[in-house]
Amino acid sequence: MDTPLILMVLLGAVALFTPMLEGIFKGEMRGKFSGHLAVATLLLAILLVIYQPLTSPLDLTASSSGLFRNDLMGLFFALAVLIVALLVAVSSLNYMRGEPNEPVYYSLLLFSALGMSLLAFSVDLIMIAVAWELMSIPTYILTGFRKKDSKSNEGALKFFIMGALSSGTILYGISLIYGLTGSTNLFQIAEATSTITTGLYPVALLAMLLLIAGFGLKMSIVPFHMWIPDAYEGAPTTISALLSAGTKKAAFVVAIRVFVIALPVLQLNWGLTFAFLALITMTLGNVAALTQKTITRLLAYSSIAQAGYILIGLTVALQTELGLIGVLFHVFTHAVMQTGAFLAAAVVAKKIGRTHLDSYNGLGVRMPITAFTFTISLLALAGVPPLNGFWSKLVLFTAAIDGGYTWLAVAGVLNSAFSLGYYAWIIKRMYIDEGETVSRVHEPIAFNTVLLSAMVIIVVTGIYPAPIYEFARLAVAALGIV
Amino acid sequence: MAIPILSLMIFIPIVAAPLSYILGRYSERGVKIFALLVSIAVLSLAIFSYTSILFSGTGAEMSFQEGPWQWIPTFQGVEYHLGLDGLGAPLVLISAFLTVLVVLGSWDLIKTRQPLYYALVLFFEGSVLGVFTSLNLILFYVFWEIVLIPMFFFIGIWGGPRRKYAAMKFFLFTYTGSLVMLLGFLALYIFAAPTFNMQALALVNIPFWLQTLASIATFVGFGVKLPVVPFHTWLPDAHVEAPAPISVFLAGVLLKMGGYGFIRVNLSLFPDASLTYGWVFMSIGLITMFYGAIVAMKQTDLKRMIALTSINHMGFVLLGVYTFNLYGVSGAIFQMFNHASAIGLLFMLSGYIHKQAGTREIPLLKGLMNRMPTTAVLLMLGSMAGMGIPMFANFLSEYMIIVGAISSNIGLAAAVLVPVITAAYFLWMIRKTVMTPMKNGSGVHDMSRFSALHLSIYLVPLILLLIFPWVILNLTNLFAENLIRLGG
Repeated sequence: MDTPLILMVLLGAVALFTPMLEGIFKGEMRGKFSGHLAVATLLLAILLVIYQPLTSPLDLTASSSGLFRNDLMGLFFALAVLIVALLVAVSSLNYMRGEPNEPVYYSLLLFSALGMSLLAFSVDLIMIAVAWELMSIPTYILTGFRKKDSKSNEGALKFFIMGALSSGTILYGISLIYGLTGSTNLFQIAEATSTITTGLYPVALLAMLLLIAGFGLKMSIVPFHMWIPDAYEGAPTTISALLSAGTKKAAFVVAIRVFVIALPVLQLNWGLTFAFLALITMTLGNVAALTQKTITRLLAYSSIAQAGYILIGLTVALQTELGLIGVLFHVFTHAVMQTGAFLAAAVVAKKIGRTHLDSYNGLGVRMPITAFTFTISLLALAGVPPLNGFWSKLVLFTAAIDGGYTWLAVAGVLNSAFSLGYYAWIIKRMYIDEGETVSRVHEPIAFNTVLLSAMVIIVVTGIYPAPIYEFARLAVAALGIV
Repeated sequence: MAIPILSLMIFIPIVAAPLSYILGRYSERGVKIFALLVSIAVLSLAIFSYTSILFSGTGAEMSFQEGPWQWIPTFQGVEYHLGLDGLGAPLVLISAFLTVLVVLGSWDLIKTRQPLYYALVLFFEGSVLGVFTSLNLILFYVFWEIVLIPMFFFIGIWGGPRRKYAAMKFFLFTYTGSLVMLLGFLALYIFAAPTFNMQALALVNIPFWLQTLASIATFVGFGVKLPVVPFHTWLPDAHVEAPAPISVFLAGVLLKMGGYGFIRVNLSLFPDASLTYGWVFMSIGLITMFYGAIVAMKQTDLKRMIALTSINHMGFVLLGVYTFNLYGVSGAIFQMFNHASAIGLLFMLSGYIHKQAGTREIPLLKGLMNRMPTTAVLLMLGSMAGMGIPMFANFLSEYMIIVGAISSNIGLAAAVLVPVITAAYFLWMIRKTVMTPMKNGSGVHDMSRFSALHLSIYLVPLILLLIFPWVILNLTNLFAENLIRLGG
């Protein structure tokens, strides 16, 4: 079974025809159909992705063409991003109800989900570039989806300019690599890197830096992070969840494939580069998050900080197997907990109408389910055991010490401690501070479903992390490095 | 297969917590009774396991072992592994005992959001018992951190006027400390042996530099909890703001986690570093004792004074632990047990006095003997336990620690001065509050008979243990002998 191709047909076809099909329906059904169709499609896609490693684990590496490699790594990331897309789609059933152009929203969401999953399987630079655009372009539109909202427009424009810049940078890097190695296939590049003459090393270094910058924009690495808070704040909050938990993760899988598989010759250079990027990314993210006044900006900076933790794993990817396992593990856990947090913020924004932190005072009484699930997500983000965020951070820090970057582990630990400052601050607002009113706020079923299922995933994979860890370990082992 | 007693002790309260929350939404009286029954059930399990270890004379080795079972099969060394020995058993017993008393003590004092409160009490009990029985560093760390969450809410929701500040401070301090401790565990995992199993690590010959580094890391984690002097500033705030029953948990159970960690991790796993640098830790312990005692002298808030007494008594524990001899280590465990009971009584009394008299300021509390005779008698008895008067077991344990300290270094005889200072400020407090004539004493009522009865329970183990100290010492001595034999 060829997962990427099936996903392409399934998600692509539904995405393409949803807006047209919607025209058939009139009256009551209008607007509801496309959302439910998108949810059903994503559910089916997730089942497909899980079905494969469960049934035929041996012929996974069979490549469908030169463009994709149908391996566990791809399946792992596809699973993570599809879960995020599903949670976003379900919550959008309520969040976007009654907004103009609803069918287009779901169509774009599916296109972006397709782009992310294809990116997870791509092993050819051309395919990576194409999937990258397929993932990005719908998100630019989604960010500016509220045409009349100036913040939404500002965020979208900023995001688009940065995104276009990143695509350009990536393409330039790709062209340099093609010039150096004569191929766009990652495995052929890996073989050819050993033949690069020393004189051409500066060019290779330039290509690498261009790729880091290009991917870094999506991975929200400092100093390429400036667009993030504005875009997350302006976008519909459900789309912020998609950006922070979904597209960012897809960028990480590309980074793994390119830097770890194709460019190991230059590993001496990028190990230290990534270490410093990790350090400043998590530190700046955490410090900036502490000073924010609105929840979306706070979560945006927190998401930047989390990208820093993931980079720790990438830093030591070639020294120890734990590094990449940590990356995969944290990508999965962060995807779930960040989605949970952003969607909780979305329901509060929708129901209370404000994103200022003050509107969270006394939320524990007003919206008990939202507040409770939000608390669990925040504790998981801070890395409090036995929630899933603890385990992935544990693996990352162990990897850092194992790979000889003890100072990075120390920095990561101190950052985790620091980050609790603002995570616990929100919890304190929700449960300890008194709100202006104690009136109950209606909590929509769609959101309750999403938040509770995110919480269940966080708690269950926290108490019993073995399956996810094992999946990540096998995915890394199947890459055949280290 | 044997009945997994330790897992039952941990997970009965944890599973009962959400149930009690649901029950509490229908009946507030129901949730109290339910919580009481659950805590009594856990206490009976604790007594059973304690007595069986005591009478089989197996304090030196692990009984009731469960596991090791792989938690993440391919992440080597992360295991579910529980066990109970002469160190864990007394602490498990006192934690289960205090939980029953806390539930009883909250009966009248906690009036708001009761379902959540009792759910958190049970959750707290389960996770604390997990700390005292874990034999795997990661499992230990998991329980260690879970303990923080109910405590954060206890202080934040049911606390006094500055509760928000105190809750955040408590959470941040202890979380930071534990993360540094986790770094130490990870360093052990990478550089010593790829396992988190404490028993396995104890057999590994850990290089001295690693022992030193890891001792520093764990010192931060355990030191914040105990607390030792540079890391103690969260404690007066947390204790003063917390409601009285929760102060009992804080002082009686949470602080013991620090002392337990020092013995279980530092002494057992890093014996060389603990012996070589023991003088550093003993000096810190001595400073902590004097600091707690001297600062307590100038407090006017009764509860703050008791909180600082806790620092003073915990300094004894640190001193005793690092003497690394039979008297010191065994005395430290004994001291933790006695301190939990004595300080629990004093905190509950301060809660009752505050409730009845409306203030905790010592100069304003006059004529308690006439106005609140039962309270006054209990306050005097509790103070005597706190001072270490030879009527309660606290005397024995402080005496053991001082003997241990002197036999380790004669200069440590300075520790004898600490009980003197302690006695001074307790006597000052009693003179001000109990032995003064009342000014306008009408309108203040004494505590109910129920309260007087349940507060007296705190004194029972203290008196019994002075007469029958072997009940504790037979266990702890076996444990300490074995520890010293392995370490020395």
